[in-house]
Amino acid sequence: MSKVRFYGKGLANVTVTEVPGKLIVLEGPDGVGRSTQIALLREWLEANGYAVFSSGLRRSELASVGIAEAKEGHTLGRTTTAIFYAADLADRLEREILPALRAGFIVLTDRYFYSLIARSVVRGVDEHWIRSLLGFALVPDAVFYLRSDVEHLLPRVLATRAFDYWESGMDFMGRADYYESFVTYQRRMLDEFDALGREFGFCDIDATQPVHQVFRALREGVVEVVSALKVS
Amino acid sequence: MAHLADGTALPGKLFVVEGIDGSGKSTQLDLLRKWLIAKGYCVAFSEWNSSPLVRDTIKRGKKRKILTPTTFSLLHAADFIHRMEQQMIPALKAGAIVLADRYIYTAFARDVARGVDPQWVRELYSLAVVPTQALYFRVPLEESLRRIMLGRPKLKYYEAGLDVGLSEDPNESYQLFQGRILREYDRLADEYGLVTIDAALPIVRQQEMVRGIVKPHLEGALKAEANPWRHVLDTEQLAGRYLGNATPEAN
Repeated sequence: MSKVRFYGKGLANVTVTEVPGKLIVLEGPDGVGRSTQIALLREWLEANGYAVFSSGLRRSELASVGIAEAKEGHTLGRTTTAIFYAADLADRLEREILPALRAGFIVLTDRYFYSLIARSVVRGVDEHWIRSLLGFALVPDAVFYLRSDVEHLLPRVLATRAFDYWESGMDFMGRADYYESFVTYQRRMLDEFDALGREFGFCDIDATQPVHQVFRALREGVVEVVSALKVS
Repeated sequence: MAHLADGTALPGKLFVVEGIDGSGKSTQLDLLRKWLIAKGYCVAFSEWNSSPLVRDTIKRGKKRKILTPTTFSLLHAADFIHRMEQQMIPALKAGAIVLADRYIYTAFARDVARGVDPQWVRELYSLAVVPTQALYFRVPLEESLRRIMLGRPKLKYYEAGLDVGLSEDPNESYQLFQGRILREYDRLADEYGLVTIDAALPIVRQQEMVRGIVKPHLEGALKAEANPWRHVLDTEQLAGRYLGNATPEAN
């Protein structure tokens, strides 16, 4: 069983203190291959008999559409956006992630609390404020961080899609040039992740290696977390 | 090398295909793209009239038949500049290979065929990146018409050039309009040194020529492994059941 702990004040009316499931977070920069690794991991875990629930940023029933619309119109300010993302996370935590954990599922989530802090802080949102706002976030059983650098991210991003307005920080960097903006924004995000990683004890995985080696390293880490589910 | 309008060299390579409807240029570009990806290059692709925001405006204008030659030209320029700033230049700065399906020459040929001033439209696009190489797929008018009419029973208003007023009959208008565009393209090939490829040749033969033209420019181009997860599927005996959503290139 995992103890239910929160980063701050927790969720209103949530009294459960222990859950049988495991919450596993995958963090890492844009284009590093998080969703590929989660897709592979989910299939591998299911093949080995584990029930898996997969979640990720902006996938809540409540807030995903609103965030998508706001992104399209580039209309929300940084503070409103931060609150919108928080609502998205709270909705998923209360109505999907916690129920899945109580049912003994492994929950794999593509980005979490840390990404929300990083993207807000880089945009100049007050760090203390955003952390207290996100105090309802459940402390996960493990955070795996796919570590890479901008030089390795660039070809992946270019080969699979064009530069994204938000991934390039175009909303606040004040540069006309997507390339410069992407590189600078991603570097700042990586710095922020480094600091968060030290504070919250991320388990680093070198994501500049070939995909199969990343997968192997990640799987090793995950197996360690979930193997307890087999004995109890 | 591709160059910015001010002469600055970019590390990436920009290849462009041009030609009238039914010249087979998109087929050739698609074959080129797959070949480059298979060779391990990082390839970005950009298509004429494809940026979501501008495309919707153009679609609305076409539907309501309210586009004039000038607004038609301006909206396509907006689409082009947006894609250039957001897709092409960043990729070229990173050293990638960029493939463009239609480029400024399409505007030069089509807009001038609509009666727009040639100098004005060239000025409009003077910010454009100078491509590494532009390929012009030249096909006789009759052959292109035969190809187009095969799968398409009804021509659209602007496609047929009905706004130009060459004829009331869509088919006749289309033929006259395409003929004008073809003549403009021929002029452009000389003016801008487009490499002309005989688009009446067999597809395989044309592709050989295309690859032959592109090959000498590939040295030093940015590489990106295609489908890097394939090895995991083999070694872990997974089917990749959930990869569909994760990777745009999975299929």
